[in-house]
Amino acid sequence: MAFVEQHIHDAPTSFWSKYICSYDHKVIGKQFLWFGIFFLLVGGLMAVMIRWTLAFPGQPFPVIGQLMFPHTGGVVPPDTYAMLFTMHGTIMIFYAITPILIGAFGNFCIPLMIGARDMIFPTLNMLSFWFNMASGILLLGSLCLPLGAAAGGWTSYPTLSTTLGQQGLGQTMWTIALFLLGVSSTMGAVNYITTIITLRAPGMGYFKMPLTVWGLWLTSILNAIFIPVLGAGLLLLTCDRIFGTTFFLAGAAATSGKGDPILFQHVFWIFGHPEVYILILPAWGIVSDLLSFFARKPAFGYKMTALSLSAITVLSTVVYGHHMYTTQMSPLLTQSFMTLTMLISIPSAIFFANWLGTLWKGSIRFTSPMLFSLGVVFVFGLGGLTGLYLASTSIDLYLHDTYFVVGHFHYTMAASVLLGGFAGIYFWMPKMFGRSMNECLAKIHFWTTMIPLNGIFTGMMIMGYAGMHRRLYNPFIYDFMHKLMPMNTFVTWCAIAMGLAQSFFLYNFFKTIFFSKNKPLASANPWEVGTLEWEIPSPAPHYNFKEIPVVKCGPHEFGNPNLKTGRDFQYQTEELVEVK
Amino acid sequence: MNIDRSQEMKFIQSSVAMTVTLCSFAMLFATMFLGYFLVRSSVSVWPPVEIQGMPQGLPFLSTLAIVLSSVSYYFFEHKTGGKKVNFVLTIVLGISFLISQWLLWAALKESGILVSDGMVPSMVYAFTWLHAAHIAAAVFLLLWLGFYVFVRTEKLSPLKVINVGKFWHFLGVVWILMYLLIFVL
Repeated sequence: MAFVEQHIHDAPTSFWSKYICSYDHKVIGKQFLWFGIFFLLVGGLMAVMIRWTLAFPGQPFPVIGQLMFPHTGGVVPPDTYAMLFTMHGTIMIFYAITPILIGAFGNFCIPLMIGARDMIFPTLNMLSFWFNMASGILLLGSLCLPLGAAAGGWTSYPTLSTTLGQQGLGQTMWTIALFLLGVSSTMGAVNYITTIITLRAPGMGYFKMPLTVWGLWLTSILNAIFIPVLGAGLLLLTCDRIFGTTFFLAGAAATSGKGDPILFQHVFWIFGHPEVYILILPAWGIVSDLLSFFARKPAFGYKMTALSLSAITVLSTVVYGHHMYTTQMSPLLTQSFMTLTMLISIPSAIFFANWLGTLWKGSIRFTSPMLFSLGVVFVFGLGGLTGLYLASTSIDLYLHDTYFVVGHFHYTMAASVLLGGFAGIYFWMPKMFGRSMNECLAKIHFWTTMIPLNGIFTGMMIMGYAGMHRRLYNPFIYDFMHKLMPMNTFVTWCAIAMGLAQSFFLYNFFKTIFFSKNKPLASANPWEVGTLEWEIPSPAPHYNFKEIPVVKCGPHEFGNPNLKTGRDFQYQTEELVEVK
Repeated sequence: MNIDRSQEMKFIQSSVAMTVTLCSFAMLFATMFLGYFLVRSSVSVWPPVEIQGMPQGLPFLSTLAIVLSSVSYYFFEHKTGGKKVNFVLTIVLGISFLISQWLLWAALKESGILVSDGMVPSMVYAFTWLHAAHIAAAVFLLLWLGFYVFVRTEKLSPLKVINVGKFWHFLGVVWILMYLLIFVL
């Protein structure tokens, strides 16, 4: 495709145009980052409250418990507990991970890594953020309603999510907030896909793109296709709640006519399973790049990794039924879905092996981004393997809706993505804000996160295997659960430790951005890597590239003994030196 | 419509973006169709008693209006003469479609088919609401385009005309499918 050079737009001068209604992809990326970090803290606090309730049932939540729940003496009440796990899941998935991994890195990295001056539709990009913001405000606003926020779980299955399951506006606002978020994500997806297809710098073929861009591109494709599916489900749910339709009301729940609650499950999981990959593909892309960058070796099997990610993207669209084995699905269908789900392990194993191949005999630099990337390799390995148990129909019938599922999806969707997000933040920090974060604090942050994180999610899987249901307010009213009390307490202390460990990150992050003005700016290429964004000054200027770069080699050209430049890597704009 | 060489790349970019956008809209409606098929497959006799006596004339008029509007927009896009008349005709027919939908809902209510009567009536109402909301948005887009057709003619770019047209024709195709599946077959 012929290349079109974007014009250099004038630098914004006022506070308003620079920080609020900016068209600059880098600023919008940072806006998404702030947004995501804020919601990460809110969702994290909710997680600690959930864990406190499970480990210490009937005991007041420390410090803020009395303030938040004065009528119960600071103890989290049962209805609030349901609201907490609903909002925790919703916030972490849609308002923390999505904005950070897709909104922040997508906006910041795509144009810089493909050699463009901005996204193709800057206004749409800005609108995408503000729709996201409106959605976030609506969701947070629902917490202040007299009957509380949504409490039907992050999946919001009917009839829990209909007016029979929950009166009041909370669930309705949840539904509308998610619909708005869907509009925002679709806008972003249209922008990302079009930008990557049409604005790549001359010479940058698809197989010369960094794997970060591959991950974001595939995520955007899934977003564009499957977010509207959720949108339709949400619209029908809204109609049931507001206009009196009866799509999801059945049996005694229906005042007239007859609906089908399972219909919502179909619609939700047609979207919901690809959503797992929507979240994780950017993290996989980032990690695939970082492993190569810090192992100082070309990415092993680069093309196969890109193709495996693409194969997973395709397969992710046809496996949703494995979330519904217990809905009396026909055995023929369960076996089909089981087989298709198992098939995903083939491309997953390919790129996982490629990650290990990249590390093999590398000159590994244990920087903070690399540590977090290695963390992703570890936790994704565990999360992926435990997914095989749940893919198997016979095992899933026992494990369904237990804490095993919670542990599994937290390993894949939360731990992998969170660690991948931190890897990205530490890595691109100099290019985003002009200064690198303190490496020592970053490494402390890694270990103090990584150790309790595994305590939490392994503990959850053990409890789930022992039969602990995922949504019980107080599981210990059942005799057989008493033996799990110590494990629950252990998991809760791990969660508290992990929560406190984030203060290392926050201190480091805020100090670097706001209290390091007297320190010199980072060099253009502090990590010594060859992708396009590291050829321009740090922080990246508003126009990105004065001259549009011409790409001549791939993003992972490391360790070539014939290089005469004194470096162990090549920039993508340099002619590839042959390895003889 | 002639597109000069300088606009060729913009045209490609715009086509990619519009294709992705229409894919997203298509998935929204595809999910509704999926819901419709699931509902229909769960009913032993079609049409079920809840929607018997559903008006047939108004949906046909809606179909006629939207097909003619697409044809007139096509002439607006591709024929050199009578452009503005065809454009105005598209808007008039689009508004006629919305009026016919409004009348359809009133007629449904009059026939005793209410939104709360069960899944099939719920589906008929929700599907037509969703489609009509998109038609209303598309009519606003046509009015926005009209500003360039009649007032700021020098700013009327072929891309605007083509993209609004794609959206309009897309909604026409969706309605034809809806008409056939809900009201005819």
